[in-house]
Amino acid sequence: MYRFMLFKPGWWILHLIAIAFVFWLGHAIGF
Amino acid sequence: MNRKKVLKNTLITGLVFLAVGGWLLHIRTHPPLMDEDNLVPFISGMVSIFILPLLFWFRSTISYAYVINGFLVILGTITMSHFSIVHFNGPLSLAGILFNTTLPDIALLWGKFVVGKALFDLELLRSDQDTIPAGRYFRYPNTGWWLVHLVMLSVVYALGHILWK
Repeated sequence: MYRFMLFKPGWWILHLIAIAFVFWLGHAIGF
Repeated sequence: MNRKKVLKNTLITGLVFLAVGGWLLHIRTHPPLMDEDNLVPFISGMVSIFILPLLFWFRSTISYAYVINGFLVILGTITMSHFSIVHFNGPLSLAGILFNTTLPDIALLWGKFVVGKALFDLELLRSDQDTIPAGRYFRYPNTGWWLVHLVMLSVVYALGHILWK
């Protein structure tokens, strides 16, 4: 099931979007 | 209907019950119309109730269901921990941490993760004699992969909170 993903652009794009979203969420949530 | 199918139905029902419970609890204590922060559990709950059961149902989408379910649990864990840290009013003791924080809610949420993992593992199961490949703990779809993502998402979330004012 495991595939080496570091050479796949989709892996990088997905991670950049996810990191940006979580980073924004940390900023946006104002408890 | 075979036993695997029955078990799958049972687990999906369990997942929906957990999702509905969490969703309604959030609506009661954090109404989405009162504060835009409350949209996070509102939308997550809607996804868990209406979309995840469908994705878990079909073999072709079960990987997406497994990943989305896991990340919703991680996001819930991080945001509820954040909420507890901000609103904690002591004392800093074992009882205080157990009963004055969202730790019980986080424990329930991880129940939802486990149900999702059981559904995913059930789909891959060929016979009850299947063995688990060794040495892949930190690789998808094993638990270590989730542990890495829990830690890394927590770090990114904390950095977003601290650095982006």
